[in-house]
Amino acid sequence: MTIKVHFYSYFKDLTGCAEVWETIPGGFAIADLHQRLMARFPRLGPMQKSTLIAVGVEYQPRDYVIREGDEISLFPPVQGG
Amino acid sequence: MRRQLSITTAPINETVLLGQRSLSSDMGAVVYFLGVVRGTEQNSIITGLHYEAFQSMAEHQFEQIFQEMEKRWPIESVRLIHRLGMLKVNEPSLWVEVVAPHRGEAFAACQFLIDEMKRVVPIWKKTLKPGEGRVPRVPEA
Repeated sequence: MTIKVHFYSYFKDLTGCAEVWETIPGGFAIADLHQRLMARFPRLGPMQKSTLIAVGVEYQPRDYVIREGDEISLFPPVQGG
Repeated sequence: MRRQLSITTAPINETVLLGQRSLSSDMGAVVYFLGVVRGTEQNSIITGLHYEAFQSMAEHQFEQIFQEMEKRWPIESVRLIHRLGMLKVNEPSLWVEVVAPHRGEAFAACQFLIDEMKRVVPIWKKTLKPGEGRVPRVPEA
């Protein structure tokens, strides 16, 4: 399946884009996608532990299995206020 | 619990917001908070901040926080305005108001809302330092 991945805040600069499409096999978890994205965009690597990941508008754990139609967002720690 | 949420590039107008206040006769406490842009960030002088949001997720996360507040305290209303875009030093970035029967629950709910916002709501800020032509996005190591 092919899914859309969004980047926010300075992750857009680390990757050089606001969104990408990734083709992934069935059973792919968020952790697997994160590893693939860090390989594709090595500048995300140093942020690995602090990266927040959402599916749609909800945070999801690393073992969440990605489904057809999911939109994934990666971003750094939030800083509102 | 009535809710009003706005994540906006429009300036925060405190006079208008205070004029729109509405509370029933059972309410005894109104707590409101104004966050403003400080002139320093991590001991460095800055000229302003640029705020960015993942808007649909931010609205959803605020709604979840509001639902949790409603479970915990007998709040009559909550209003929250968060600015986006470029803000200068001393300009308001956040305005929050909680109306409740007693001050304890109003203070606690307001504190909870801001703490949770800073934990889960996807809004980010970038600093603008004197002499910089554009906002640096990647934090310095």
